[in-house]
Amino acid sequence: MNSSSISSGTITDGPALRDPHTPDSRLGHGSDYLHAEHTLRSWFFTTDHKRIALLYLASITAFFVIGAVTAGLVRLALVVPDGQVFTNDTYNKLFTIHGVVMVWFFLIPSIPATFGNFLIPLMIGARDLAFPKLNLASWYVFMTGALFTLASVVLGGVDTGWTFYTPLSTAFSNTWVVPALVGVTIVGFSSILTGLNFVVTIHTMRAPGMTWFRLPIFVWTHYATSLIFLLATPVITIALVLLIAERAFHIGVFDPAYGGDPVLFQHLFWFYSHPAVYIMVLPGMGVISEIVPAFAQKKLFGYRFVAYAAIGLASVTFFVWGHHMFVNGQSDFASVAFSVLSFAVAVPSAVKVYNWTATIHKGSLKLDTPMLYAMGYIGLFVLGGLTGLYLATLAINQHVHATYFVVAHFHYIMVGGTVLAFLGGLHFWWPKITGRMYIEAWGRISAFLIFIGFNVTFFPQFILGYLGMPRRYHVYPPEFQFLNILSSAGSTILAVGYIFPMIYLVYSIWFGKRALANPWDARGLEWTVPSPPPAHNFLTEPQAPKIPYDYPIQARETGRQHS
Amino acid sequence: MSAGATDSQVGSQVGVKLVSHFATVEQQKRAAVLGMWAWLLTELLLFAGLFLTALILRLTHPEAVQAAARHLKFWIGATNTVVLIGSSLTMSGAIQLSRLGWQRGMVRFMLATAALGTLFLALKGYEYYADYQEHMMPFLSDRPYALKDSPPSRLFVNLYYVATSLHGLHLMTGITILLAMTWQASRPGFLKQHQNRIEIFGLYWHFIDLIWILAFPILYVLNR
Repeated sequence: MNSSSISSGTITDGPALRDPHTPDSRLGHGSDYLHAEHTLRSWFFTTDHKRIALLYLASITAFFVIGAVTAGLVRLALVVPDGQVFTNDTYNKLFTIHGVVMVWFFLIPSIPATFGNFLIPLMIGARDLAFPKLNLASWYVFMTGALFTLASVVLGGVDTGWTFYTPLSTAFSNTWVVPALVGVTIVGFSSILTGLNFVVTIHTMRAPGMTWFRLPIFVWTHYATSLIFLLATPVITIALVLLIAERAFHIGVFDPAYGGDPVLFQHLFWFYSHPAVYIMVLPGMGVISEIVPAFAQKKLFGYRFVAYAAIGLASVTFFVWGHHMFVNGQSDFASVAFSVLSFAVAVPSAVKVYNWTATIHKGSLKLDTPMLYAMGYIGLFVLGGLTGLYLATLAINQHVHATYFVVAHFHYIMVGGTVLAFLGGLHFWWPKITGRMYIEAWGRISAFLIFIGFNVTFFPQFILGYLGMPRRYHVYPPEFQFLNILSSAGSTILAVGYIFPMIYLVYSIWFGKRALANPWDARGLEWTVPSPPPAHNFLTEPQAPKIPYDYPIQARETGRQHS
Repeated sequence: MSAGATDSQVGSQVGVKLVSHFATVEQQKRAAVLGMWAWLLTELLLFAGLFLTALILRLTHPEAVQAAARHLKFWIGATNTVVLIGSSLTMSGAIQLSRLGWQRGMVRFMLATAALGTLFLALKGYEYYADYQEHMMPFLSDRPYALKDSPPSRLFVNLYYVATSLHGLHLMTGITILLAMTWQASRPGFLKQHQNRIEIFGLYWHFIDLIWILAFPILYVLNR
């Protein structure tokens, strides 16, 4: 298997040529991380961050399929207004599985655990994460949690929705709530360990000369995400532990019959779960900040602002949880404060969108697959973000609370945002990860299918919600049927768009063209090593770039330059 | 954290073995310390939700909380506070001796720390038993709760059990790790390769102490 001798032989770009010590013979003997060892043991007990990233990639893809199939069944049920496709119980269980699996087993680990794991050490010029064994342990913790949750599904499902609101989850639900809760609690520890590893790695493992303001934005956003992992996840852990204690041992904290307070759960839950939105969104913003400059061949506009905006988002997001509780009887004063703070979140989000747009402006655009995904992301994120402002407005929230408007809003952020960024990143770094190129035409077709399918699926839901269709019901007035059929039809297009990459990306692993070290002519240390990277990342001491995003085209900025 | 001067004084006796993915021992030690601090930060937030809930309950239902807190054994709590602070002192002693390379003394201090931790658990267990005697365990269906006319008091008592048992769980984990590490550290050559493990564990031990130092005033002192 002379995996990447060809790639090193045909490198034409600067950074790799600077490295005179890339011996063909060593690469020829399979010293890249994929071919260094072949045993099952070398995968399941690996401490190489790149292999652990692939373990995560395989697992979260499986969970994505489970989540997507249940979403498809939910859309199938909603084609008819009389709720005859499934029983009420089955429908409740379907949307709960969809929510639990998508949020906790796909969206939250998606970009950090795969690309974050794979790329952070490469981007900062380190040999591995600070704690490689802990990194492997986090995958096992993740899979243990997943087993509990899957067991609850196999045993008969859960019907509480992904939010596990009390008193339904503690006093009324007759389904397998405790195993699902245990699973989600355990998965939280995997997030904490990943975040801890990233924080320590970014602080202590940077290559000589790699100062904070030479780091790619991808690293900045992962740093911000890791802070949320560390500070918010323990709060959901304790909330879920209290739920388990109440349901299993009657140590009541949420049930009024035991002296508890059901709204307390919502406070604890959203103190984590609102920041969790930024756990899902920030890494995606990092991906987009890498793709856009590479395909515009232009320096990222306002680097420092984009970096600060990541930290700003991670900070403000801790103070907006009450906007999920506007109609739950919290005081008017609290509602106004949370409303104002929620508006404030729009500022750093908008900074990022403007900076990406300004980077595209007068760039030398190449509309390859990753860039198509990135542009789709920007458009959908703007729509999702602006509708978020509607929801932060107290008066409008009263009207659209718990309707399909909310469903459409957060799917624009999570699918339009995170999933598109994930797919964009997957296409962008696929050559680096596998050493192979996929077929570009197929990639572009899938990007268009997903963008169109997504909008056809979810835009009608804004209208449905505005007209008053509540979420989580499968019986609805017949006049809503047309928009529901439109939405379900869109989901089939979306499904085809998801299936395409699974086929051509897997195909490319065996039959794709071999990738160069830097197929996109992109900047960043990860592109200076061969594709796929060697087992120990850098064959020679990595040289930190003096300027991040040092692309040929520079914006005419009047302010001070980045150092 | 660890003084570089002492490292050089005792020469090859005390040190840390470099793991291959780090460039220098200094970097490796920094990473370990920062990693433990990050973990403690996350642990602090784990307890913060419980403490904050207890404090807000104290504000909204002062009489009920005080009625329930009157059943807490203040002097056992106070003794336990002294016991844990003492254990932190012996742990600091172990760390100092590990820096000096005095292995035997260090092991003794570690055993003393574990003993004090166990004493805490024993006293805590006795306190739970006394609570049981006084019908202060509302979650037991076969034992009527002493203050059953006051639902908020029940929430306070439940929070007390969750917070103290979670703290006890941390202490038990701490003692287990400490004993395992004492066994390792008693073998020759340990301090030459893994001296910083003692320091990292010390951070965790002091943190368990700190959580109790927060829990004692919030649950006991404030409501007397």
